[in-house]
Amino acid sequence: MAPVKRILEQDSFQENGIISGKRLRGGNAPPDEEDYYLDVEDEMLDMEPTEEEVEGESEDQTVFSDITPEMRQRWLRPASKVTDNSNDVNLQCFDMDMISGQPLSQNPNETKSRVVGSNNGQVPVIRAYGVSEHGNSVAVFIHGFTPYAYLALPNNATFDNTEENLTKIRLHLNKKLEAEARGPSLAEYCRAVSYVTSHKSIMGYDSPHKSFFKVTVAMPTLVPVLKRIMEPGMIQLSGVNVQGDNVYHPFECNVPFVLRYMIDNDISGAGWLTLPQKTYQVRKEVDKKTFCQVEIDITYNDIISRKPEGEWSKMAPIRVLSLDIECQGRKGHFPEAEMDPVIQIANAVSVYGDKKPIVQNVFTLKGCLPIVGAQVISSDKETEMLMKWRKFLEACDPDVITGYNVQNFDIPYLLDRAETLSKGSSHIKGFAQWGRIRNSKAKMKDTTFQSAAFGKRNNIETTIEGRVIFDMLPYMQRNHKLSSYTLNSVCAEFLGQQKEDVHHSIISDLQNGSDEDRHRLAVYCLKDALLPQRLMDKLSVVVNYVEMARVTGVPMSFLISRGQQIKVFSMILRKCRNEKLLVPTLKKAGFNSDEVAYEGATVLDPIKSYYQVPIATLDFASLYPSIMQAYNLCYSTLVDPRDVNGLDPKTYKKSENGHVFVTSETKKGILPTILAELLAARKQAKKDMKNAPSEFERAVQNGRQLALKVSANSVYGFTGATVGQLPCVPIASSTTSYGRFLLERTKEYVEENYTIANGYQHDAQVVYGDTDSVMVKFGSKTVQETFPLAIEAAEKCSKIFPDPILLEFEKVYFPYLLMNKKRYAGLMWTQEDKYDKMDTKGLETVRRDNCALVRDVIQTSLNKILINQDVNGAINYVKSQISDLLQNKMDISQLVITKSLNKGAEYALGLGGKKEDYKNKQAHVELAARMHKRDAGSAPQMGDRVPYVIITGAKGAKTFEKGEDPIYVLENNLAIDSKWYLSNQLAKPLERIFEPIIDNVQKSLLEGEHTRKIFIPTPSARKGSLMMFAVKKANCMGCKANIDPNSGPLCKHCQPKQAAIYLDKLSELTDAELRYAKLWAKAQELHGTVHSEIMCTGDGCACQFYKRKKAQADIKRCIEIVDKFGR
Amino acid sequence: MFEARLTNGVTMKQIIESIKDLVKDCNLDCSEEEISIQSMDSAHVSLVAVRLGAGAFDHYRCDRPNALGINTANMSKIFKMLNNDDTVTFKAEDEGDALTLLFEGQKNDTIADFELKLMDIDYEQLGIPDTPYKCSIKMPSREFERIVRDLQVLGDTCTISCGKEGVRFSVTGNIGTGNILTRANASAEKEKDQVIIDMEEPVELNFALRYLNFFTKATSLSDHVMISMSPEVPVVIEYPIQDYGYVKYYLAPKIEEE
Repeated sequence: MAPVKRILEQDSFQENGIISGKRLRGGNAPPDEEDYYLDVEDEMLDMEPTEEEVEGESEDQTVFSDITPEMRQRWLRPASKVTDNSNDVNLQCFDMDMISGQPLSQNPNETKSRVVGSNNGQVPVIRAYGVSEHGNSVAVFIHGFTPYAYLALPNNATFDNTEENLTKIRLHLNKKLEAEARGPSLAEYCRAVSYVTSHKSIMGYDSPHKSFFKVTVAMPTLVPVLKRIMEPGMIQLSGVNVQGDNVYHPFECNVPFVLRYMIDNDISGAGWLTLPQKTYQVRKEVDKKTFCQVEIDITYNDIISRKPEGEWSKMAPIRVLSLDIECQGRKGHFPEAEMDPVIQIANAVSVYGDKKPIVQNVFTLKGCLPIVGAQVISSDKETEMLMKWRKFLEACDPDVITGYNVQNFDIPYLLDRAETLSKGSSHIKGFAQWGRIRNSKAKMKDTTFQSAAFGKRNNIETTIEGRVIFDMLPYMQRNHKLSSYTLNSVCAEFLGQQKEDVHHSIISDLQNGSDEDRHRLAVYCLKDALLPQRLMDKLSVVVNYVEMARVTGVPMSFLISRGQQIKVFSMILRKCRNEKLLVPTLKKAGFNSDEVAYEGATVLDPIKSYYQVPIATLDFASLYPSIMQAYNLCYSTLVDPRDVNGLDPKTYKKSENGHVFVTSETKKGILPTILAELLAARKQAKKDMKNAPSEFERAVQNGRQLALKVSANSVYGFTGATVGQLPCVPIASSTTSYGRFLLERTKEYVEENYTIANGYQHDAQVVYGDTDSVMVKFGSKTVQETFPLAIEAAEKCSKIFPDPILLEFEKVYFPYLLMNKKRYAGLMWTQEDKYDKMDTKGLETVRRDNCALVRDVIQTSLNKILINQDVNGAINYVKSQISDLLQNKMDISQLVITKSLNKGAEYALGLGGKKEDYKNKQAHVELAARMHKRDAGSAPQMGDRVPYVIITGAKGAKTFEKGEDPIYVLENNLAIDSKWYLSNQLAKPLERIFEPIIDNVQKSLLEGEHTRKIFIPTPSARKGSLMMFAVKKANCMGCKANIDPNSGPLCKHCQPKQAAIYLDKLSELTDAELRYAKLWAKAQELHGTVHSEIMCTGDGCACQFYKRKKAQADIKRCIEIVDKFGR
Repeated sequence: MFEARLTNGVTMKQIIESIKDLVKDCNLDCSEEEISIQSMDSAHVSLVAVRLGAGAFDHYRCDRPNALGINTANMSKIFKMLNNDDTVTFKAEDEGDALTLLFEGQKNDTIADFELKLMDIDYEQLGIPDTPYKCSIKMPSREFERIVRDLQVLGDTCTISCGKEGVRFSVTGNIGTGNILTRANASAEKEKDQVIIDMEEPVELNFALRYLNFFTKATSLSDHVMISMSPEVPVVIEYPIQDYGYVKYYLAPKIEEE
């Protein structure tokens, strides 16, 4: 299957080759179309399995004796409470998909006899997977809902609305669809056509599209086909009197079927559904098609959707499975599923709301000692272990599968491994049945996700029917800016917990060892399985996603696999349904089409200085959403420039850049309405959060208010995304132009009114402004005096702007160091009596392409400058750090820089790729290539972050030649290029922050006495290096003068000071020993291993591997020195 | 107290020039007998050893051994101001933090004095033990400089093979190959044109041209260069400074990566 391209914000409904009309009929469809179908309606390809398939994938009936009934009992969900249709069933729905199936023979509703919808041929059946209040898994088969789309009549066309004409049109379309559609033939293609004049297009205040045909088709796949055959404008429909172009514009053709169903029935994502008693049928055990505990058939219009308010804002007890696998890689290779066995699978199952996981277990290959608090299930054969694990998966029946990088590693590896093994063994048949649908395998496909914000990523997307795969790694990458995304450092950051970072070369040795070694590995593996789940709880990920699904009304899975646009699109569609508006399906602009660039936000020129008076910050609250509301910016209020003259000037307003929108009194727009509702709901959620009785409820409300905020802010982006579903540059550009206007206006207002002439003590000055905030120097000396002024200014200034635009006073910076645009630091005060924290923007404290030394030096300097207001202290501190650096006293982890291997690096690593993509050589890429030569197994892979330090090189050597692996540097005692760190890492940031404060930063900070004491390490001997031949010469320990090696450690001039010198060297040794002991104890404590060695080699782990190594090396060196004095 | 007066001041200037591309910071080790420098280059590929015996100076006094930490680039800046026929005087206090340099013109008409701040450089001193070499080549230093410079155009690794008929320098690179053969010629009229090969057995080694090029910065110190090689040990390239001392470079041969 061709890889599906997912371009910017995904759901790109590619149409190349389809609309061109050049497609050869009956021939092989162009590959683009394949993509098209996959992308629009993935579920289309699923058919209920035929008999043959069932045979081929017969269910596994093997019984494993070591899985005891008691053990299994713990895995199972609570016993089903639903056995017949005598009670209402409530379920929270987490996933929905659609299959093509047979219509029901009778209505499941006891009070109705007729089957809703078509009763012949193939029909779409929606499957909703949910969890009941009691924790039972429920699959609901929803029948009777049919797909449809709208076609706008050509401009100025009229239609003779008679039954006869409509029937003719239906038959005509039926024939056309039959000719064009692919896939198995159907009994009927076009099910109905009706003439609609009650709706109009959302586009424009006075839209020309006011009459439509609503065409109902048999299957969702036919919607795009319908769009295609209507677009060329060649078709004549009976009864339509066309004047001018014969073009039928498609409307609402790009709505995924499942979303269509949800919108039309007011079902929100992750919402509760009630199936009223007597309206449904429970399937008998023998008829069941899924592994769910309960299976129900129901007609779509019998389901009651619950608004997520009050009682229905609760969460069902969903099950989350977090897993981690270990593989035994060969030396020098990254594990490959074709070659290397899976040796352990660790799992943690938890129920939402419970603090502790209900099951923790580990499946191991070969024996393993028991583990406290976890089930250990050992197998002799890999196939046996895999099948036991599958049994476990089926029994515990999780709703969500999580882990760390499971999406791209663990899950594909298990599936690929089973595929490989199945060639030699029949014992592994049916392993890939992970989904809830019986006899259906988990499917993988490669996808490419590309966006401006996250760059290009290659992903493997696995479809497991009825279960949501939620990988924590991409979640962290998307939502948190961190310097390292290893599970280890992420956990240290958010959980304050560590795990050992075991290098995979060690794993193989442990596996080949004793039961105890494997026990060690299993404990490690279990922790890896547990941590993602902890992370999920801690960050309230599930709740936040559920709330986002509820607010925007899309299914949970859309949030994970699709971008931002579908969310806004869904909200617009929902609103339009109520307002009787229809959304046109626009032709997609490709990446290459000439994009309409428009001016973005403005930044006021900063007046750079170190302000030792309070600077007040005035912010616009939700600037873009409130502009869109205040000026009623919407698709439906935009007036065509040609129509402006015909309008009463009172009814409209021209935006700052010349687009005309009618006022909200004339007609309130869709977007402003959506935004008003979102913001009102957010206010309510914030209120509820304050009053929430329990922690869980508070988490829910917090998730909700966050979701509402993000959604409100994404509306502007939706209108501006030129490759989007419904771009509208006039709206986006008007929004930013109003933004610029408001900012300028605020500056003018403050500077005009807060003057000595107006009775104030000082003239106010706006020192800086960016997008939605202005920084004002009111001139008053204390924070206490500034607060009332700022509050007053914000209030008064808000009054000159229309509602709901609100200028808020949020905080005062004092002192404030303004370095440049988007670069400042200051102590932030939100209360008069004490400051909250130090706030920095655009500084190296947060940037991650610098080494930790830069971050620390900058942070500490700022602390001294801003908090202690001790500029001299800061200067002395910087000097001491620089001299430590030059004397090689710096911990190497402070100097490590990490960069990831991105596009282009393939070429350097010899993995293909194009030379053009790797024009500028980079240190981390060159290093990775060298590491591949040294040991391919431990070398970084594509996409990995590579840690490196810069070492000294020959004169004229480029920086990219000087990058080296920190561990290698430590092992070989190589010299750090401290001068490079000084001039390329520290110099610029230091100059930036000290420039507004002191004169001639270069001279006073970076040069001078403190730079004149240096240390040059002696590298250890390596094969081929000169060190193999060199001999160390004896030097006096006191004055470094050359001495005779046989005459003791000192020269005759230093001899009298022997005792003092000896003590000095001895104290250096004890110091190093003490340092190491402390680090070791801390590392043991962190990893909870007192009796075994620590295997962690992790970069960024708080057990400080590099520092330990360095201390070890120091001890060795000191011992050598002390030994020269004789023992 | 350390005090030394060098009539031929330009020798010191040439020494600094010959090491400054390889070594950024190093100690000038002053003892009763000599001034010496031993340092690896910053990439730890080659080693420089400099010796200037007390006999080279017309006045030399060193009360106790002393290591003067200098930055070669800064030292070189000061020596830029030296006229070629100037006399140089070095002065340093024991445990002082500066080195005083005195430049005197031949006619005693100008005296310039400079003070260079010293650095405290902590590094282990290394040396390559003297061993008998299988081949020793003595050739004009200008000739060696030219060969190295010319071959650099073609590639970055130079094979030096010493055989009966002479020394062959060869390079293989992307644009092609190059060979320069220098024949033994002990009977040349002028001593400085002589090429003398003293060989026990043929030796062939590979070296990085980049480093050989750094070494030729010492050309002006001496008419001759001595190249000594044995299989699988570092080559020594020595520029003698009359009878008083030398600048020696050691470079490990390149081995083919497996």
